[in-house]
Amino acid sequence: MIPEISVERRKNVPQWLAYGAPVFTILAALLVAAVPLLWLNISPIWVYWELFISQPSTIGGVGDVLTTGLPLFFAGLAVYIPLKAGLWNIGAEGQLFVGAVVGSAIALHVQLPAVLLIPTILLAASIAGALYGAIPGYLRAEHNVNEIISSLMLTFAATTFTGYLLRGPLQGSGGQTATDRLPDVALIPSVLTPRLHVGVGLVILVGVAATLLLNRTQLGYEITFIGSNSTAAVQSGISKYKIYITVFVIGGGLAGLAGMVEVAGVHGRLFEDFSPGYGFTAVAVALLGRNGVGRVFAAALFFGLLTAGGTTIAVTQNVPSALIDVIVALTILFLLTAEFVKEHRIQIGSAGSESAPRPEGST
Amino acid sequence: MSLFAATLESTVRLATPLLLAAMGEIIAERSGVLNLGVEGMMLGGALGGFAAAILTGSIWIGFGVGILAGMALALIHAVICISLKADQVISGIMLTLLGIGLTTYFGRGYVGQNIEGFQRIAIPGLVEIPVLGTALFSITALDYLTLLLIPIVWYFLFRTNIGAEITAVGEDPETADTAGIPVFRIQYACVLIGGAMAGAAGAQLSLAFTNFWGVEMVAGRGWIAVALVIFAQWRIFPLLGAAYFFAAIDALSFRSGAVREWVIDTVAVASLEPAFHFLLNPQVMSTYPYILTIVVLWYVMRQGNLNELGAPSSLLKAYTREQS
Repeated sequence: MIPEISVERRKNVPQWLAYGAPVFTILAALLVAAVPLLWLNISPIWVYWELFISQPSTIGGVGDVLTTGLPLFFAGLAVYIPLKAGLWNIGAEGQLFVGAVVGSAIALHVQLPAVLLIPTILLAASIAGALYGAIPGYLRAEHNVNEIISSLMLTFAATTFTGYLLRGPLQGSGGQTATDRLPDVALIPSVLTPRLHVGVGLVILVGVAATLLLNRTQLGYEITFIGSNSTAAVQSGISKYKIYITVFVIGGGLAGLAGMVEVAGVHGRLFEDFSPGYGFTAVAVALLGRNGVGRVFAAALFFGLLTAGGTTIAVTQNVPSALIDVIVALTILFLLTAEFVKEHRIQIGSAGSESAPRPEGST
Repeated sequence: MSLFAATLESTVRLATPLLLAAMGEIIAERSGVLNLGVEGMMLGGALGGFAAAILTGSIWIGFGVGILAGMALALIHAVICISLKADQVISGIMLTLLGIGLTTYFGRGYVGQNIEGFQRIAIPGLVEIPVLGTALFSITALDYLTLLLIPIVWYFLFRTNIGAEITAVGEDPETADTAGIPVFRIQYACVLIGGAMAGAAGAQLSLAFTNFWGVEMVAGRGWIAVALVIFAQWRIFPLLGAAYFFAAIDALSFRSGAVREWVIDTVAVASLEPAFHFLLNPQVMSTYPYILTIVVLWYVMRQGNLNELGAPSSLLKAYTREQS
């Protein structure tokens, strides 16, 4: 008898699987990521100890995790909120760049006291990001142009154009492809440790606002309704046009804000590589935390822990920080696998014993 | 060499990786599987090819390993999207992220090394043709191979039974399945061919264009290849035009200084000079392919929908056989 693998759709997802899936996927990703570490003769146990135990046990380390988690959380929401309406915003990175560029340009050229300047640049960055995000939203709403492709293309347009600005109009006096240092009044002050800026307070504000928006408002209800059944939602009088543009505007605004906070809170100047791909990791964040704003935050902290720790061990111990990209990608690839296991019952047995034999290729 | 001839020559060589990767993506997408991991697969091919060429001393073995590296990454995508029926968008983006991470990680040891890559082969006689001669008949073996591959892929997709079966699977897998076409096997094969061609495109970059390995050296060409597929409306000959057009923009931006001077001298309107300085800046020119893709998409969508545009109807939809 030939053993046959049979796959059926589960009727109910067991509780332990629903909650355990993210944990299992992270563990599996860490296990597989140990292979490249061993390849370079680095102890994975030591690396994971540094990442998950040593780093969060110092105040500076916590500061790093929080400041790295912030852009990941905001950009994660920039993907998550459109996802609630059934749309993919793959362009958070571009919206983040546009926000950072506009905010930095204002910070460099407008003279205002700090109490006014910081809110101004953050607001301007949000608006710029929102307008940039509105483009794929509008194209999808009005002309049904695929938002995945347009938001992605706009990301590359934005990052390339930033390269132009940093070699031209916005280039600083140092001759590098970077702006001058922003004036001190434009920098977000730090608390407790130089590595933690007060901008982190925005996390609570944005987190609460996003939760309320999605769970307590008419707009949030309409977003979720469109996302779960757009035909029924339209029939009940909800404007798809309005919702599609709105989610992209909100998402773009948050991504733009993230970009400016990163510049004004962490780097103090704008340069080409100021974002280690936050907008792309954000897709992973939104996916890992797909069941609520709180979980998006948890996912952002987890990837923040990895990203911040990865930078540190890259500098101190010569472990390539690209390992972090590998872990992030593996986590999500395993998550996709786990989704399948969650939704399907897989049985390995001899053909014809329990389920009806199926023709080849049915798996 | 005149500015025009020089630009034409680099256009042909710059089009090779775009053509290879985009043809592979057309094959994969026509079977209904979108693979956004082209950039990652190209990086895999570039590093795998370069490393193997250094280790074995043979650029042809390197090229073969580059192809295998692209296929290995594509296999992950195929299993996750075809067998496990997961979201193609997410899987593809994560594949790119994985490719960037893995190649940056393992490529460290190869940064700074150089290789004697594929050399130009001049075809006697033909190379003497003015202007076109050096552009078309003094290129590397891989460039010739790619040019040869174009009519082959076209014939394969549009004039053979297998090509028709691929289209059937991409348009309506259920009917195809009923008709006895092995849906899953065809999708797997198409995604793997796509990976092989993306790997080849990457290997061409490191073995015949730059002759070194650099971190993220593919520099967005994988994404442009994805854009080109839409631009070309999933067809081979429009792809040829589109790839050369995009490659020409790339080639022009390498010579933006000379191009700018030429345009300014030719137009000779002083008030337009700042505009040309901006529009013909190399960085600004690099944004054109991305913006053009959106404009074309928008223009076509105004008149119809994605299917009229030529997109396979079941693109992005995982096929599950109905079970009784």
